[in-house]
Amino acid sequence: MAESLLTVFLKALLLAVALLGAFAYMTLIERRMLGRMQHRIGPNRTGPFGLLQPIADALKSIFKQDIMPSRADKFVFVLAPAISITFALAAFGAIPGGPAGSLFGFDPWVVDLDIGLLYVLAATSMGVYGIFLGGWAANSKYALLGSLRSAAQIISYELGLGLSVLTIVMIAGTLNLREIVELGVWSVSPWLWPGLLVAFATFWISGVAEVNRTPFDLPEAEQEIVAGYLTEYSSIKWALYQMAEYVNMFTAAAFISTLFLGGYKGPAFMNAIIPGSADWPIVWLVAKMAIFMFIFIWLRATLPRLRYDQLMRFGWLYLFEVALGATLLTGAVIAFVL
Amino acid sequence: MATFVVLAAVMVVGALGVVLLRQPIHAALSLVGTLLALAVTYVTLEAHFLAAIQVIVYAGAIMVLFLFVLMLLNVQDAGPRRSLPGLRWAAYAAAVVTATAIALVAFWDGRPAPDPAVVSLHLQGGSAGGIADALFGELLLAFHLVGVLLLTGVVGAVALVQRRAASAHGAPKGFGLPAGRDLPGSGDAAAGKARALGPGGQR
Repeated sequence: MAESLLTVFLKALLLAVALLGAFAYMTLIERRMLGRMQHRIGPNRTGPFGLLQPIADALKSIFKQDIMPSRADKFVFVLAPAISITFALAAFGAIPGGPAGSLFGFDPWVVDLDIGLLYVLAATSMGVYGIFLGGWAANSKYALLGSLRSAAQIISYELGLGLSVLTIVMIAGTLNLREIVELGVWSVSPWLWPGLLVAFATFWISGVAEVNRTPFDLPEAEQEIVAGYLTEYSSIKWALYQMAEYVNMFTAAAFISTLFLGGYKGPAFMNAIIPGSADWPIVWLVAKMAIFMFIFIWLRATLPRLRYDQLMRFGWLYLFEVALGATLLTGAVIAFVL
Repeated sequence: MATFVVLAAVMVVGALGVVLLRQPIHAALSLVGTLLALAVTYVTLEAHFLAAIQVIVYAGAIMVLFLFVLMLLNVQDAGPRRSLPGLRWAAYAAAVVTATAIALVAFWDGRPAPDPAVVSLHLQGGSAGGIADALFGELLLAFHLVGVLLLTGVVGAVALVQRRAASAHGAPKGFGLPAGRDLPGSGDAAAGKARALGPGGQR
């Protein structure tokens, strides 16, 4: 099933464009939904339903003055947003969008790696450098505090994330995301359901923390440290960070759908309604991602931000232990029951 | 081969940057670049699992901790420091001799390179299975011994910190405590209060 380099390149380009387009409209959807949840209207003036708002925002970002703090480390200051967006886009590449050859004869993924799961974890863990270096290079105390917070947070919650993923890996016996989807982790045995449920919960919580969203958006807690690592950024560099944040949200949503909710596979009863529709590429993955994206926004409108010490204590004293317990439980079930 | 030459060049430049750059953060970043280039080299050798682990563990965790400490302490360039006379030239000479020795061993090694077919058979597609078989089968004892070695390092670090913490506890009583609260056994509360103010309290 080896595809030519040109096909892979074109698919990667298409994916990047799709993700960035989705980012633009995700900002609009988020603002409209937040407006709804807070009894406001939200942006509705630019075009019908405010549909041209993202374009206006993009133009504004591009034409704004690009301010470089005079005492900043200029090279790192420019490098950091580029790191952020590069690894955010790269991480999505290994996530499969459908069965092999289902996308007009092409495979609906960019790369099919035997270690796809580790690849996604590796790419997302590199993304922390963008936040981290951006805050440092700005040479401002608020930015530095923001990046120190984010580094501590991301390292702490990566443990919970990794342990939750371990449950899936033990059940599936593979690191290939496509094979995990094809196997269907819930169908292996009902004995595994308790462990899987707990791992699902811990994975989701860690995922929210990894993408720095409310209630874990400490790195940019505006009441305490202005905008954290973003404080000194303006114009297109600021927009790049926003893109990276949203693309990371997409990746987290797609990753959790792929691992725990059958990824690109549609529900089986859909085959009874429209034959073959459960095997449509992309559609089901996007539908599942949409659910998680909605929950991201919902959380933001609902939950207050954690205090920093609460965040660390929760990560190390509760989440980590619970995820470890789920892993041990699953391991015990596999060893002694199955 | 061309890929390897490019990657090797990136790694050598990165490694030089680690040593030569003045700003500690830049040096650490240079090390990250070197590690990433090494990961890509693993990919070209079909060792995908190793490459991913290299990125996750070294670039994603250890280097982040390095940078974290550097930023937390806000380490700046300390400037040229006095050292033993001739140390610099001795270091240059040692580097040249070591590099020559490694090059000699690498290029004059008489053994034939292993057959790529055999290597890829052992790697099993570069996935986790092959490494697990080696680590938890043939090399189990060595694997456990490395664990003990790491534990030794952790215990050593704790011991180093603990001694300082213990001596801080045993130091003149009351230091660092809130004013007015003294350690038991000290009758002179006023003196304790004066000491509790810290170095300036003696005035």
